[in-house]
Amino acid sequence: MYKIGIDLGSSYTKGVLVDNDNKIVDYLLTRTGFDFNKAANKIIDKFSAKHEIEYPVYTCGYGRDELKIPFVSNSEIIALSRAVFEKYQKKCSVIDIGGQDTKYIKISESGQVDKFKMNRKCAAGTGSFIEELAFKLDISTSEFTDYASLATEEVKINSYCTVFAVSEIIGMIKKGALMPNIILGIYNSVIARSLELSPIEDFLVLTGGIPDHHPIMLKLFQEKFVNCMSPEKSQFYAAWGNVLLNNLNKENNENLV
Amino acid sequence: MNQERNEIIKLKSVGELRNTMANYFSRLKDAVDTGNKKIAWCTSVGPAELLYAMGFEVYFPENHGAMIGASKMADKYIPSAVSLGYSPEICSYLTSDIGAFLQNETPLQKSGFESVPKPDVLVYNTNQCHEVGDWFMFYAKHFNAPILAVNTPMWISDLTPAIIDGVANQFKDLVPELEKVSGQKLNMDKFKETVGLSHDGCVLWRRVLETAMAKPSPINFFDSAIHMGPIVVMRGTQYAVDYYKILLEELEERIENGVGAIPEEKLRIYWDGMPLWYKLSSHAKLFSSLDACIVASTYCNSWIFDDLDANNPFQSSALAYCKLFIVRSDDEKQKYLEKLLKDFSIDGVIYHDAKTCGRNSNNRYGLPNRMNDKNKIPYLEINGDLCDSRCYSEEQSIIAIETFIKQLASRK
Repeated sequence: MYKIGIDLGSSYTKGVLVDNDNKIVDYLLTRTGFDFNKAANKIIDKFSAKHEIEYPVYTCGYGRDELKIPFVSNSEIIALSRAVFEKYQKKCSVIDIGGQDTKYIKISESGQVDKFKMNRKCAAGTGSFIEELAFKLDISTSEFTDYASLATEEVKINSYCTVFAVSEIIGMIKKGALMPNIILGIYNSVIARSLELSPIEDFLVLTGGIPDHHPIMLKLFQEKFVNCMSPEKSQFYAAWGNVLLNNLNKENNENLV
Repeated sequence: MNQERNEIIKLKSVGELRNTMANYFSRLKDAVDTGNKKIAWCTSVGPAELLYAMGFEVYFPENHGAMIGASKMADKYIPSAVSLGYSPEICSYLTSDIGAFLQNETPLQKSGFESVPKPDVLVYNTNQCHEVGDWFMFYAKHFNAPILAVNTPMWISDLTPAIIDGVANQFKDLVPELEKVSGQKLNMDKFKETVGLSHDGCVLWRRVLETAMAKPSPINFFDSAIHMGPIVVMRGTQYAVDYYKILLEELEERIENGVGAIPEEKLRIYWDGMPLWYKLSSHAKLFSSLDACIVASTYCNSWIFDDLDANNPFQSSALAYCKLFIVRSDDEKQKYLEKLLKDFSIDGVIYHDAKTCGRNSNNRYGLPNRMNDKNKIPYLEINGDLCDSRCYSEEQSIIAIETFIKQLASRK
């Protein structure tokens, strides 16, 4: 029997299939769209085609309580923390950059959430900032990292606001700034916003769809923090953490956050 | 959300509260209809005692702003004020109130008013903020009514004689101007009596709020935010005193019988900042479903003016209204908060950063971190606003609140 963890995020829904040893054996990423059940069913259908799965499924994210199938929901922050602690087994700070939210989490030596903070009601510093600018510049988000790696110097983006950032970039293009340098500035703008959430004192773990799909992010973070890592497929960590959290609760018969 | 526990246990005194508030508005309407009494507009922590003592009926625009917020109409009204040049970044009490006025609407129409009561005089105190002056000026110009101010220094650390004397003198300077409007001389005995009643009402209000030190707490923030009505608008009258005696009796009875404000209280939360008026009910249900009781708040505690002294009305008014939390330095605020967190056995603090009310958002100058460094009580900051619901991201905030409650539960 396999367990399923699903993270129903604002932009993407992430599903993992987990075996009895708590190892992830399959992944699926799908756009969330407007129907949480449709997104979740896509994941369940794929996994159940090849494996015998058990219910309830374990959910987190914006759509965590919306499913029509049996589910147990968790806070995505606690689920993500659980997965990160499972991976590294030590005190750390996490920066998670997703489509709509950027989060800072401080995890204690025993794996508890010591502190967390989310971005303000603003797209700056989130994946939406990059996606919107990529759309306006007519560059695919997958090409963004490639462009940035060709940068010779950073062009600093001052605007907090996504809309104003676009007009600022138009001004830079008119002044002859090179696109790779501008894109490096866009990445650094997102990083600067995420670092406003809290001072980083410990080992830093970078997670979420943005670092997964924009590998240069890790490199840029590592320029600021030598002690920084981003696990492979970190975008799926909250989904995985859901399952781990449930197992842990069963073992200890209590809510160990 | 635990659907079985997503309710607050309603206080029986709500019926009496409704009567007390309805009678207040009825007296105000009578003054509008008959002209038998002059009407003064006053800020919520302004010199209400002096105005009541001089025979005015007193109208509080901030109470009106809260009514607009709670009725979820602010988003309809704010754009009208913005189109007139009032920024959406400034006080949303101001923008929603002026916007409603421009649209000829008011929640008071349900109580038979045609519009807000026309002021004979407007009186404000800047102890809370300076925006109240801009707000009142709009109406002073519109109605061609006199506007009077008490200008209180900001960020007060020590309540020095220079500060208190200066403010007391400003209170005294109001008198001849108010006499011109009211047509009658200030009766000092009446003023002393009014200050005495205000003191008694405030002491009762303090005792009401302090019942929440009991475990389980018989009252929570969402109750208090409603039941504070009389201490805001009837401070200095027998009506407020009478009402809080009734409420206090019910709360003491609850304590005796072990009845809490929510079905199951596992965590005790402190709320700093203003309520999100348009979310009062849904927040009450959310916290109740999480077995978390918000037992104390900066906001509701702000109407405890128990330094008022009938024997020394001007000087004690100055002291009471300068001692107010919102006008103090961050060091004084921190001392005050630390005491409340201890007295009310607080597990966690929530700071509401209200987009349009910096003065009531105490998280903006590092205070939460400084507090946490000292007492290690976890805190959460949520972004929202008092009236402008466009500044609030509900889904994001619910995730943050649920996570915070689980974080606190894991420490128990």
